[in-house]
Parts: sequence; C-alpha cells; structure tokens
Amino acid sequence: MELTDIQQDALLEIFNIGAGHAAATLSRMVNEEVMLSVPTVQFLKLAQAAELLGTTRRISAVAQSFNGPFKLEAILIFSENETLEVVRLMIGEKIPLHELTDLEQDALIEIGNIILNSCIGTLSELFATEFTSSLPAFRLGTSEEVLGAGCEPDDHVVMLLHVDFGLERHNIRGHVVFLLDVSSLERLKERVNHFVYRAMGTDSQGAAH
Amino acid sequence: MDNKKNKKVLIVDDSRVSRMMIHGFIQEQRPEWAVREAAGGVEALAMVSDELPDIITLDMNMPGLSGLDTAQKIKERFPAICIALLTANVQEGTRNRAEALGLHFMEKPITAEVIRRVIGLVERS
Repeated sequence: MELTDIQQDALLEIFNIGAGHAAATLSRMVNEEVMLSVPTVQFLKLAQAAELLGTTRRISAVAQSFNGPFKLEAILIFSENETLEVVRLMIGEKIPLHELTDLEQDALIEIGNIILNSCIGTLSELFATEFTSSLPAFRLGTSEEVLGAGCEPDDHVVMLLHVDFGLERHNIRGHVVFLLDVSSLERLKERVNHFVYRAMGTDSQGAAH
Repeated sequence: MDNKKNKKVLIVDDSRVSRMMIHGFIQEQRPEWAVREAAGGVEALAMVSDELPDIITLDMNMPGLSGLDTAQKIKERFPAICIALLTANVQEGTRNRAEALGLHFMEKPITAEVIRRVIGLVERS
C-alpha cells in the first residue's frame, strides 16, 4: 500500500503545482494573496482523516468526484461562519447584500467548482490523463459528516492529500483535500511513475529519450 | 455601421450567481445590450429557437445537457452563431473539443476582463 520515497515526492510535487494554480485562481477571484501550506499525503482511516480536519466545528464544503484512470474525491472546505465573507469577496458589489445570503450556497458551489477544476486541470496535464467530473455538491456539517466517515466501514482506508490555504487580510482559512480509495492506488502509482520517467527524460525501462 | 449597438446575449449557466455576475459585467460595459438567461441546455435550446442571440455564453458542466452537447445542437441549426464556452473545466481535452466545435474557450473565474473578451468576440465579427 505504501508509496516509495520518489513516488511520494513526485505526488506531493504534482499536488503542490495543482494547489498553486488553484490558489492563483482563488487569488484572482477575491483580489487577495492566498497563502498555502506545504501539502501532505497520508494513509488513514476515514475517521482519522476527519479528525485531522477538526471535529469540533461545523464546516461548509464543496465536493466533486473526478474519474480517470483512478477516482479522486476533491473537497474544498471552509469554516461555516466564514463562507459568507468568502462569497462577498468573490462577488464584491455585483449583488446587493440582502440577496447575498440567499445565494451563499450557490456562490460557494461555484467557487468550489472553479478552484477544484483548476487543481484537477493541472493534475490532468501533469499525469497526461483526462478526468470526467461529477457536478459539484454542497455539504454542511462536522468533518465526519462532510467526509462521509460514518457511512464507511471502520477499517476503510483512504489516501489523503491535504493543503491548507489562508486569506491573510480577512483571516480566512480553508483546506483542499483529495481522497483516493486505496483500491485505486496501483493505477495512481502507474501515473506517478509515468510522470517521474518523463521528468527524468527516460522511459519505464530507464532508457533516455 | 456601429457594431457596438443593440446586441443580444444569451447566458447559459446552472449557477445563478454566475449568471448574475456575467449579466452585471455586460450591463456595466454595454448597458444598451439585451441580455437573457437560461439555467440549462434544454432551456437554452428553446430560447435560441424563440429568438436568435448574437452571442451565447455557455457553461460546460451542467445537469442534464452538458455545455458541449448544447453547443453541438445549437451549431447544427445555426452554424455561424458565436458561442463562448465559459468554464471552470480547463483540461486540454475540453478545450480541444470546444475548439473542434468552433467554440471560443474561456476560463472562469468570471471577471470584467473575461467579459471584455466575450464582448470583443461579437463586436469584431
């Protein structure tokens, strides 16, 4: 189930580049610099993944599934009490404030759609593969509820790719997480290996090209 | 002839916020233009049959009929119509399929600059 050091390094770099493009997109939307943490990858039970995101507060999230050689679930997460501010930053003066609260969920779905697709677009290019996507869906609740931890068997293991981001001026924090079921892991490894070989200028047998 | 006057725009997007933002930017830049909205592909096809717009902005990822399927059906009837695919789906495959259909591919987020480019498409034609 483990990744080799080089596979982990390559996967994190791919995800880092994707997160970087997503952060650039978010920055253009809210007209503010977006700070990113160093991405991490872990193999966890889904309940442990939920604990990592904090179990005491309610979160708002947009989730989207991407299907290619492997299947990923991508989730953009904010604290429940910060989402209206994020929406206001994106929309600005375009919509009167009294209408904004009615549109908050719709706006958040659109933000998630843009950011998650920006990230996947980069992954698609780097993995040299195409993904089809589900429609983005809004979720509200605890991290366990948002990740669906209660719906899976206790020993269900996932690979969690995780990056934190922040809008410093407005003290807003969020997360982007990618969940991969370990049954897809071998197919992911194949694409990571392909990326490494291309990056090193060799083929899978180690011959230069 | 002044190519800026009295253009008709159809905005097609399942996101009400996106429709409002596109509509808002167009009204800022071209207040005299007539703007209509459709929340999906089926509604868009009906509205195009009712009144042909000068340009359509079209989202890609919608429930029911996708943006590309909607565009294909519209182009079958009105091959010369100008369609801008305004999408978050920035994968190369999507761009290639859009361009093969004769669509103008533009990336979300929706900004004043993106809408300026949309306006330029119909004013230059």
